[in-house]
Amino acid sequence: MKIALGSDKKGFELKETIKKYLQDKGYVVLDVTEEPAEDFIDSSTAVSQAILEGKADRGLMFDEYGAGSFMASNKIKGMITANVTEERTAHMTTEHNGAKAIAIGSGIVGPALAKSIVDSYLDIEYAGGRHQVRVDMLEKMI
Amino acid sequence: MIIAIGNDHIVTDVKIDISNFLKEQGHEVIDVGAYDTSRTHYPIYGKKVGELVGDGIADRGIVLCGTGVGITVAANKNEGVRAALVSNAAITRYMKEELDINVIGFGGTTVGKFLAEDIVSVFLNTEYKETAENKKLIEKINAIAPKNSEQHDNPEFFKKELDLWDEGFYHD
Repeated sequence: MKIALGSDKKGFELKETIKKYLQDKGYVVLDVTEEPAEDFIDSSTAVSQAILEGKADRGLMFDEYGAGSFMASNKIKGMITANVTEERTAHMTTEHNGAKAIAIGSGIVGPALAKSIVDSYLDIEYAGGRHQVRVDMLEKMI
Repeated sequence: MIIAIGNDHIVTDVKIDISNFLKEQGHEVIDVGAYDTSRTHYPIYGKKVGELVGDGIADRGIVLCGTGVGITVAANKNEGVRAALVSNAAITRYMKEELDINVIGFGGTTVGKFLAEDIVSVFLNTEYKETAENKKLIEKINAIAPKNSEQHDNPEFFKKELDLWDEGFYHD
């Protein structure tokens, strides 16, 4: 699985930590912000484009609160991003929403929890089935 | 304030708690459903709340599903809506002060009753603090999605998906 990562200035350090964590686990990463993006809008839309264009399978977005990346990326047609602060939502949003990316706020989530969240997000597949009608609706919007 | 609220069938009981909490504080509530626990689909209610807020009929919106993700994504995908998925007061306060959110969503199964009430209170009692920097960010976010006249205020927008659902096309 190929993982796209991106961050603004505030999320950069956590992005670097998670990037190394994923590389050590053997994931192929696509870092769309080798240098911090100007703001979370640029970083989260860059991650979204990488996924929607098929350059990565899932995405990780980092900023200070996570919620800004959620808002900006979910304005893009076809994109489904969850900002998460605990493992359970990370797990369920993959399974039920087919979340194409998650956003993590570096000012809210520490590095140990961030690693655990990323594990929960990546360790499960989208379930499809009845959930697909809702995903089709979301992907049709905007 | 006029507050639009919406939810899926998983968290109707939590929605009623939040509705009562809002009414006790003197707010007017527009409840778009779901009203019971029969299986339904969160984008329907996220869209309804998003349109009430985006069209200026409601001042703010609150949406709930199991984790909050699906319905908040749906609400955010409407013209004029800036929605935040929140799990604590700090995120809620920042998003209101800096990005002038008009909808919040949270997980009815992941956020407990007391924290939910604190989050709602912060959302309703915090004001946007305009600066040149955050105004620029808001304008940039507002410009991401083009206007979609086929979607906006169209109650039949999900007809195809709902017809397919009724035909049994989507199954586990």
